[in-house]
Amino acid sequence: MTHIETSVIYNDQEYDQYEYMVQEEEWDRDLLLDPAWEKQQRKTFTAWCNSHLRKAGTQIENIEEDFRNGLKLMLLLEVISGERLPKPDRGKMRFHKIANVNKALDFIASKGVKLVSIGAEEIVDGNVKMTLGMIWTIILRFAIQDISVEETSAKEGLLLWCQRKTAPYRNVNVQNFHVSWKDGLAFCALIHRHRPDLIDYSKLNKDDPLGNLNLALEIAEKHLDIPKMLDAEDIVNTPKPDERAIMTYVSCFYHAFAGAEQAETAANRICKVLGVNQENEKLMEEYERLASQLLEWIRRTIPWLENRTPEKTMVSMQQKLEDFRDYRRMHKPPKVQEKCQLEINFNTLQTKLRISNRPAFMPSEGKMVSDIASAWQNLEQAEKGYEEWLLNEIRRLERLEHLAEKFRQKASIHESWAQDKEKILSRKDYESASLTEVRALLRKHEAFESDLAAHQDRVEQIAAIAQELNELDYHAVAEVNERCQRICDLWDKLGTMTQKRREALERTEKLLETIDQLFLEFAKRAAPFNNWMEGAMEDLQDMFIVHTVEEIQSLISAHEQFKATLPEADSERQAILGIQNEIQKISHSYNIVLSLTNPYSTIKSEGISAKWDKVKQLVPQRDQALQEELARQHSNERLRRQFAAQANVIGPWIQKKMEEIAHSSIEMSGTLEDQMTQLKQYEHVIVNYKPNIDKLEGDHQLIQESLIFDNKHTNYTMEHIRVGWELLLTTIARTMNEIETQILTRDAKGISQEQMNEFRASFNHFDRKKKGGMETDDFRACLISMGYDLGEVEFARIMTLVDPNGSGIVSFQSFIDFMTRETADTDTAEQVIASFRILAGDKPYILAEELRRELPPEQAQYCITRMPAYTGPGKAPGALDYSSFSTALYGESDL
Amino acid sequence: MDLYSVTLEGPAPWGFRLQGGKDFNMPLTVSRLTPGGKAAQQNVGVGDWVVSIDGVNAEGLTHVEAQNKIKACTDRLSLTLSR
Repeated sequence: MTHIETSVIYNDQEYDQYEYMVQEEEWDRDLLLDPAWEKQQRKTFTAWCNSHLRKAGTQIENIEEDFRNGLKLMLLLEVISGERLPKPDRGKMRFHKIANVNKALDFIASKGVKLVSIGAEEIVDGNVKMTLGMIWTIILRFAIQDISVEETSAKEGLLLWCQRKTAPYRNVNVQNFHVSWKDGLAFCALIHRHRPDLIDYSKLNKDDPLGNLNLALEIAEKHLDIPKMLDAEDIVNTPKPDERAIMTYVSCFYHAFAGAEQAETAANRICKVLGVNQENEKLMEEYERLASQLLEWIRRTIPWLENRTPEKTMVSMQQKLEDFRDYRRMHKPPKVQEKCQLEINFNTLQTKLRISNRPAFMPSEGKMVSDIASAWQNLEQAEKGYEEWLLNEIRRLERLEHLAEKFRQKASIHESWAQDKEKILSRKDYESASLTEVRALLRKHEAFESDLAAHQDRVEQIAAIAQELNELDYHAVAEVNERCQRICDLWDKLGTMTQKRREALERTEKLLETIDQLFLEFAKRAAPFNNWMEGAMEDLQDMFIVHTVEEIQSLISAHEQFKATLPEADSERQAILGIQNEIQKISHSYNIVLSLTNPYSTIKSEGISAKWDKVKQLVPQRDQALQEELARQHSNERLRRQFAAQANVIGPWIQKKMEEIAHSSIEMSGTLEDQMTQLKQYEHVIVNYKPNIDKLEGDHQLIQESLIFDNKHTNYTMEHIRVGWELLLTTIARTMNEIETQILTRDAKGISQEQMNEFRASFNHFDRKKKGGMETDDFRACLISMGYDLGEVEFARIMTLVDPNGSGIVSFQSFIDFMTRETADTDTAEQVIASFRILAGDKPYILAEELRRELPPEQAQYCITRMPAYTGPGKAPGALDYSSFSTALYGESDL
Repeated sequence: MDLYSVTLEGPAPWGFRLQGGKDFNMPLTVSRLTPGGKAAQQNVGVGDWVVSIDGVNAEGLTHVEAQNKIKACTDRLSLTLSR
């Protein structure tokens, strides 16, 4: 038994195939004795060699024989290694054959295979086992050792490969290189895995191993260029197929598919590389494209950012700002991202290129990273510049708009103020105004002037703003300037007009003042003059009542004096009228249209003239009147004298007579009758004197008709005389009456003359004032002297009796009455009552027919109407109470 | 001048003398008193004026009218007088 030890050294790897070899050895030992496996091996190895030798255009038929000379062996090696072996010896001698085989073995050994106990002689000798072993070594070395599947190589690798490939096939389980392959499904699976088009795996059946194997063998030969190295029946019938044979056949599958796989892998790699290339190229293209795009965008954008055309309005500027914001917010970020992406792409690309050992990417001219970076920088700078510019512009526009608005506002305000000022200033209202009105206008004008001054700096402000707008290059500055100019022009105009108006007003004021002064002058002089004239007129027309010549003469002299003042008055009049003319002249010459009414006076010059004429007219009238009066007065004087002459005689005469009469009654010389006679004489004289009185009356009448009311030539007025005369008449009559009464009384009361004289004497004594009557005190004293001590009450009663009229004077008659009454016995009322009783037949009442019977009808009727009805006892119808009637007659009743 | 009133109990005579009247142009006065008479007892004074008789104003009455008015009062005489 040959010990084959093979250790294969792989580069750095060195794995001990000892175990494997041990197993191999075991199998070897076992099957060495088994001709089945020898048969299998032989078939399989032969087929394998032929598959290679075919490429050299040769074949072997018998594996132990055909390799004996070593030539085909060397050929085989050359084919499977692809290397040239040393030239074979072309001899037929044994040693040539051995040499060739050694060359072959050396070659094998040079491939790192340790051939142990395989000698050239055995091979030359045609040792089957040795030859098979050697072929197996070659196969192992050149077909199987190379196999590397995921860092697992040779047999394990091959096994791993088989497992991997057959993994999807559930009914296949490759664990080894013998029994796992018996049902043939593994082969079919392998084929199907790589070339599903060659086999319909679903139709295969596990229970038909033969069929499966044959099918696999057939397909492999036909389509995969793998000769049939196995015998299907052998495999099926052998409980454990030869491992090596299986391995060999399977390795052919490996090489066929793995090669394809390798090709695939290579193709993949190429594709991958190419793909990478393509990808890189795409990336480069992409880079270029993006770079172009970006640069283009930047190129487009920068001018937009560098555009410095100013906008007119803030709104459109703000819109621009808004656009810029949009740009920053919406348009730029994606571009930033693009740039970023570009950079990333570039870096990625470079990295990829570097990793895949390619040259670094050089972008085309102008698209270099630096270009992009600088372009980007420019962009950003432009942005900054743009933003700044935008903000500045907005500020500027804001300011401009603000200014423009300010201008507009101020201009509007000013314009509206100035609007009507022009009209106001051009008014000619002062032409027809009065002085006070003109003064008021002047004051108003002053106020206006200060208002104007106040507006001066406003106009200046407006101009300043306009100036600034010009400097700042406002878009609508032309309009502004125009307006400003209008305002300034109007302003100047207003200034001029104001000045003119002031002058006009002042001028008018002066004139009006002058006129006013004149008016005042006029008034001051006209009023007194007018008064004087009116006074004069009054005086001239004055109804005078004069009673004396002196009076009229004084009037006349006053009149003369008055006439003397006329020339002076006339000149005054002319002066006054002169003033009026002056006024008119001024107002005409200066065209002042005001009503020339004098505010200080209502007196008109026409009025003055008229009055003056009147006065002039009245003077002679007065003269005449005065003269007439003078004449009248003279005549009156004559009458007065005439009257006086008479009155001065009559008056005293009457006086004398009065005294005589009074004296006589007081004197009490002689009897009453004597007195009476004397009185009668007086009476006679008096009566005879009457014509004098009448004459006087006649003169008096004349005097009265001439309206003479006084007479200084006599103290006696007609009234005096008349009264005196009448008094004389009455006195004489009364005195006579008194005497008569005294006579009667004396006779009635039986008073003797002596008594009478006594009464008279005491009366005269107590008539202290000798007036013919006693005063109350006198009377009281008189009574006391006669022994009547009276109380206050009684005296009062007596006073009422003697002085019923309350005159305070007790006349001699009443004195006598009182005295006689007091000394009389009877109560007169009683007497009357007694008389009535007699007539009534002693009844306490009387009847009407009784009265009529006894008294004269008149008296009877008197009694009947006045007597009250009797209401006493025993009254009868028609009874009249004569008692109360009687007492009532005397004014006294006892009740 | 003060007014006072008296009421004299009847019957008459009342004990005073009445003087005056419209027809005499003299006021109605008490010119005499009967000593101890009814009027004197009521402190009527001489010289007092009679203002009203039995409540009726005496001003404007004639002597006869006043006299009759007083005589008409039988049971009681009310007078208002003035001192």
